[in-house]
Amino acid sequence: MIEKNISKYNKLFSEYTELRVQENRNCSISVVNGDIMGNNKSSESGVSARVYKKGVWGFSSNPTISDETVKDVIQAATENALYLNDRERKNKEPLPKTIGTAEKDFMTDKQRKTQKEMIDFLKKVDDHIEKTYSDLTARTTMYRCLEMEKALLTSEGSHSYSMIPRSIIYIVMSLVKDGQPFELYEVHGGFGQFEDIFDKPDDIFEKLQIQYDHLKKKSEGVYAKAGVADCIFAPDLAGILSHEAIGHTVEADIVLGGSVAADYLNKQVANPNLTMVDFAHTALGQMCPIPVFVDDEGTKAEDAVLIENGILKTFMHNKESAQHFGVKPTGNARAYTYSDEPIIRMRNTAIVPGKEKLDDMIASIDDGYYLMQASNGQADSTSEFMFGIVKGYEIKNGKLGRAIKDTTISGVAFDMLKTISMISDDMVWSCGGMCGKKQLIPVGMGGPAVKCKVNIGGK
Amino acid sequence: MKTDRELVKYCIDRMMAKGAQKAQCYLKFNKKHELNVDAGEMTLLRTTFDTSLMLKAIINDQKGVLKLNKKDTESIDKAVDQVIELAQSSLPDTANDIAEKQPPKEFTAGRENPDLDLMYDRLHDFVLYEKDHYPKTVIEQAIIDFTQSNILIQNSNGVDFAGNRGVYSFSVMFTSKEGEKASSFNYSGCSMKEIDKSLHEFASVDALLKQSGEQIHTSAFPGKMVCDVIITPDCLSSFIHYITAYLSDYSLISGSSIYKDKLNEKIAHEMFTLHSSPRSPEMAKNYFFTTDGYEAQNMTIIDKGILRSFLLSQYGAKKTGKPKAVNSGGCYILEPGTASFNEMVSSIDKGLLLCRFSGGNPSDNGDFSGVAKNSYVIENGKIEKPVAETMVSGNIAEIIQNIVNISKERIDYGSAMYPWMQVKGITVSGK
Repeated sequence: MIEKNISKYNKLFSEYTELRVQENRNCSISVVNGDIMGNNKSSESGVSARVYKKGVWGFSSNPTISDETVKDVIQAATENALYLNDRERKNKEPLPKTIGTAEKDFMTDKQRKTQKEMIDFLKKVDDHIEKTYSDLTARTTMYRCLEMEKALLTSEGSHSYSMIPRSIIYIVMSLVKDGQPFELYEVHGGFGQFEDIFDKPDDIFEKLQIQYDHLKKKSEGVYAKAGVADCIFAPDLAGILSHEAIGHTVEADIVLGGSVAADYLNKQVANPNLTMVDFAHTALGQMCPIPVFVDDEGTKAEDAVLIENGILKTFMHNKESAQHFGVKPTGNARAYTYSDEPIIRMRNTAIVPGKEKLDDMIASIDDGYYLMQASNGQADSTSEFMFGIVKGYEIKNGKLGRAIKDTTISGVAFDMLKTISMISDDMVWSCGGMCGKKQLIPVGMGGPAVKCKVNIGGK
Repeated sequence: MKTDRELVKYCIDRMMAKGAQKAQCYLKFNKKHELNVDAGEMTLLRTTFDTSLMLKAIINDQKGVLKLNKKDTESIDKAVDQVIELAQSSLPDTANDIAEKQPPKEFTAGRENPDLDLMYDRLHDFVLYEKDHYPKTVIEQAIIDFTQSNILIQNSNGVDFAGNRGVYSFSVMFTSKEGEKASSFNYSGCSMKEIDKSLHEFASVDALLKQSGEQIHTSAFPGKMVCDVIITPDCLSSFIHYITAYLSDYSLISGSSIYKDKLNEKIAHEMFTLHSSPRSPEMAKNYFFTTDGYEAQNMTIIDKGILRSFLLSQYGAKKTGKPKAVNSGGCYILEPGTASFNEMVSSIDKGLLLCRFSGGNPSDNGDFSGVAKNSYVIENGKIEKPVAETMVSGNIAEIIQNIVNISKERIDYGSAMYPWMQVKGITVSGK
């Protein structure tokens, strides 16, 4: 636990300064074919300061949190900023002033589980898989928990405290059919701590059956036919599309680094029914998986409406890029650990639900695919994207058909968005992965299902 | 105040006193100086100090691992109690163990402190060079850092190693723009003991910057065909990563590896010899011992096509009954061939120069597919237009069997050394 209020240090600031005390706590348990392969806990905490001087930054961090080290990191960050300013002489204007305050502690109020209780929970899930699905050749059950606890103070008067937890159980099932291995994973959990999310192992058993059924169908599945096809992206996939293929291209630092989106501002980039938002903390009246109330520059976090009715409306900003583009910062500056500086990151990126029903969307396709889950996704400054698809089905004459084997889809996102013709009325969030940039960070992504045209790789 | 060595010994003694039957402690201290360029401008100077203390306790074959970044006695005493509780909470697994006693050793490589002014000058000059020579290209981010690491590892069997290393690293990511058209981003970088030349002269930096401007205007690969592909050293690192993943703990323990029964069998073309050389003087970013407590040695993983070693840790070896590797992998060196890169290009009537692969991890059976980025069509023995929206697919196991040639030229990344590799049987499809 860290001290929630660090206001006493404000007298140490001589320049624009952000002071952050942070602790990241991780818990990790891996059960592979019944054996406890990993049983780890970690804690990483410390203090950092970032100082701005006329267009350049200095940063310093120390793992020891004390009055002395706070003074040391502020001094070292200030000296670093002065060193760079002395050489660069950019003479830029002061950054836009923002003041955000919040105290958000999402620590569970339930009795905390011991490590043994969590291992027992996973072992029961693993035992059930072994007993129920005897034809599996391998099974892995993993628990990963991340608690990010931050206290921030800025020279402009922002002060905030947050403790944001995320708890995930990943289950991987493998089997061999006709000499060929097949694998399928599923992610359970999200925002919150183990005690808030996972009550009884039995709650997961029903979902295991669904996962196993999909795997069996996949092992008997067919290769998708290569070429451009009408497809329905399930919400999981629509979320990755929003994050990877669109989201990254409209982060202002990527825009300044040459993203193709630089020239699309206020232009039609998608179907007029499509709106995409990077939500700060609340979407459609519900808490998002990774809520951000005040970012790590002390800016009050607000939603960034990226695409509104098909028109690209804004980029995601930190203070510096907001100043460059002459807009208001919306709180996208986030740091992963205490020793990381804040950089522009997404928070909870999603297409806003439409009015269609998923069943009607499937019924509207004579020959196409329902693509449900990606193994990974990569995108480019050109918005060209590639996703590995590990779960999907044919759509024939308006109905789901055979499962498809692993394949790849690709395209140019800003072209593909224009092909979106139907958007479902539901909303599903996921936050199982980490987004990689200079630093890792947990993000939320989600949305409804969308109907579009996309290039599918086939065999 | 304890010295670091005394502190590590204290951790071992305390874990044993609290009930551990076997204990290991790993302490790492990093001091990093880092300069950043963002969107073509020098923006940030960072100085960070990191401590990482990892405790491992085994009780009745039950293992617990706890990591923290504190060195004070109160934090350590609390951590020892926690790691004992973790071990007691676990289930027995006879594969859990610590390294056997080896002679104590201390290792040192690289300089102790950075030349910060030289780091600044090199990066400053790089920005000017890039703007001057490649005006269409924007540096999205460039980072130069110097990291001084001091590592200690001890265990209750008497293992006692110390390692000290200082290394510079440079990375750059960039995109080119002309009007509304943009190239795919690309990146390069390397690790080095000294920054004794301009940054663009290291590894593939200058070559890739030059290519970036050419890649603004692209066209799709014409049609679909199975053809020869030359994989560049930058791209080859992805494929080496995929191959070595099949030789590592998770893949072999879960039984999904395509190579699980292939030790001492031919899995690749005889031109393919892959070393893992963490102790090689050629590697600026080396390591001295493994995190499970063994002194690292250089090894040949695949020798003239024959699989000579898996990349199994002590745990993975005990779990699978297969031999333990003599290091933790990485620091890969692929032996050069005899052909020149130009000769390889000349030999291809129609094919692809694959410069970056954007794809997912291969399936368990080795099948892969993804997008060819920053890549070029080869026609009539010449590198022609850069391509976009072009997919490549094949099988990892087949790639290293279907080698046509390996270049005599190699790129030194300071943490790996790779040549160009010409392979047949890859499916390339455009529009």
